[in-house]
Amino acid sequence: MPEPTSGNAIEVRDLRRVYGRGAQSFEAVRGIDLDVAPGTIHALLGVNGAGKTSTLEVIEGLARPSSGEVRVLGMDPVTDRADVRRRTGVLLQRSGFVADLTVAETLQMWASTVTDARPVGESMEMLDLVDRAGTRMRALSGGEQRRVDLACTLMGRPDVVMLDEPTTGLDPESRRHVWRLVRGLRDEGATVLLTTHYLEEAEALAEQISIMRRGAVVRSGTPAQIVADQPSEITFATPSVPPPCLRGGHAGRDGDLTVLQVDDLQPALTELLRWAEERDVRLDRLAARTASLESVFLTIAAEEDHS
Amino acid sequence: MSTLALSTRRVTGLSRTNALLMMRNRLTLTYAVVMPLLPLLLLFNGERGDVDAGAAAISTGLLMALMFPIYYNLLSMFVTRRDELVLKRLRTGEVTDRDLVVSMAAPGVAITVVVTVLTIVVAMVTGLPFPLNPVLLLVSVLIGCLAFVALALWTASWTRTAEAAQLTSLPVVLIATLGLFGPFFPESAQRWVSLLPSAAVDDLVRITWFGRPGELGSSEQFGFLTTWGEALPALGVLVAWTVLSVWLAKRSMHWEPRS
Repeated sequence: MPEPTSGNAIEVRDLRRVYGRGAQSFEAVRGIDLDVAPGTIHALLGVNGAGKTSTLEVIEGLARPSSGEVRVLGMDPVTDRADVRRRTGVLLQRSGFVADLTVAETLQMWASTVTDARPVGESMEMLDLVDRAGTRMRALSGGEQRRVDLACTLMGRPDVVMLDEPTTGLDPESRRHVWRLVRGLRDEGATVLLTTHYLEEAEALAEQISIMRRGAVVRSGTPAQIVADQPSEITFATPSVPPPCLRGGHAGRDGDLTVLQVDDLQPALTELLRWAEERDVRLDRLAARTASLESVFLTIAAEEDHS
Repeated sequence: MSTLALSTRRVTGLSRTNALLMMRNRLTLTYAVVMPLLPLLLLFNGERGDVDAGAAAISTGLLMALMFPIYYNLLSMFVTRRDELVLKRLRTGEVTDRDLVVSMAAPGVAITVVVTVLTIVVAMVTGLPFPLNPVLLLVSVLIGCLAFVALALWTASWTRTAEAAQLTSLPVVLIATLGLFGPFFPESAQRWVSLLPSAAVDDLVRITWFGRPGELGSSEQFGFLTTWGEALPALGVLVAWTVLSVWLAKRSMHWEPRS
């Protein structure tokens, strides 16, 4: 087992998580490695069922790994539970509150369970809940409940924050608010690990992204690194004359569109346009774009469909 | 064992919230306080100071005080909050499982203690004597609380929803009542019936309050000092039920809804 000497806030080595036993068993997490540097935001991106929550639950110390090792702030989330919990904040994908308590009472109760808790008033201000203080939890909208949930997560001024789909179900304005909040946490030195299936969320927030598929990390790096080795794409309505074979390119069809995937967009596009001019071919609906996180993500999803 | 460590600060905070919720839920509170006192009202009708009738009414009342504020209350609170993911949320923080259980049981235990004191007052008004060994009576009630907390956890460990609790609580309803009817069972069954928690509570009431042995109609009368030793078997029965229930509960306990 490698010693966690790198000073990462979160370290995961060959993590596996198996549900059930024998023939019924299902391996939800299949040997994941993860390093999250202190003071950074790291996004686990993947479609539903990719194993994001199963991974996060082990890092949060809510479940034991079937094998592999997890270190949070250099400690084991299960055996060093009390010390880890004091310095971490967790937001579950779905959680519940006692419906008969008001917002202020809910936060007061949570504060009583936290070492060195933020004052309840400050928590409510942070999450824009001041005018809902006396409202019962049952009367809150989904977005407001999520904000109370986040207030609980941040109550103990955590060094490491783990957010499972923090903005799912939020309206666009609340989502931006949460994004600002998450960036603010990072700017104050906290480490954030979050899961999301929103590409724009990962792009907007994360310094590092790990794309998960079927329990494994299939791509990881900065958003720029992830798209760097991905082909660019040129599409146009398929002309009556067969288009040329471009250098380093790969041609395909998408309905009545021709899709060319090329490593280097500019020379390929030049070559294509010169060919069209020479043959006097009109390329309708011509579009060219460099790889984006979205195209990488879709490529990965397509690999899944075909494998 | 760090998931089991207990913190006074956390337990106090959570218990205060649970007490607040109980005060808000008038129906639960009414059942918790009124049901245990109902059997005592029968005493106003009968012969004043009849020890056997008095002991029966007090035992019945105290068992209700263990069933409603402790058993039913904890069972439904646990199952409902598990279902609503409240327990799952709390367990992501510093709160330990022991904090959660203690804080959910605490308001009910407080009510049971208050009801016990009220029982003493009402019993004396009807002409019954002050308990011979009130300290041991209180100790018995507290150990009874422990046993019924454990029984509630055991029931919760295999109860899926709050609605299902109406049925899954039946075994405990049986063991919490049958023991009161020991004399009506055939001789061969009485030894087994006396091992029920309800029989133990009944014995403890007779011993600590009236200085009488568990058997009905016995005229034997012992003094204050003898009560300590006489109470041991019945206390042992309650402790055994506690240990058994906790052991069973731990084997199948879950803190979030089964998918």
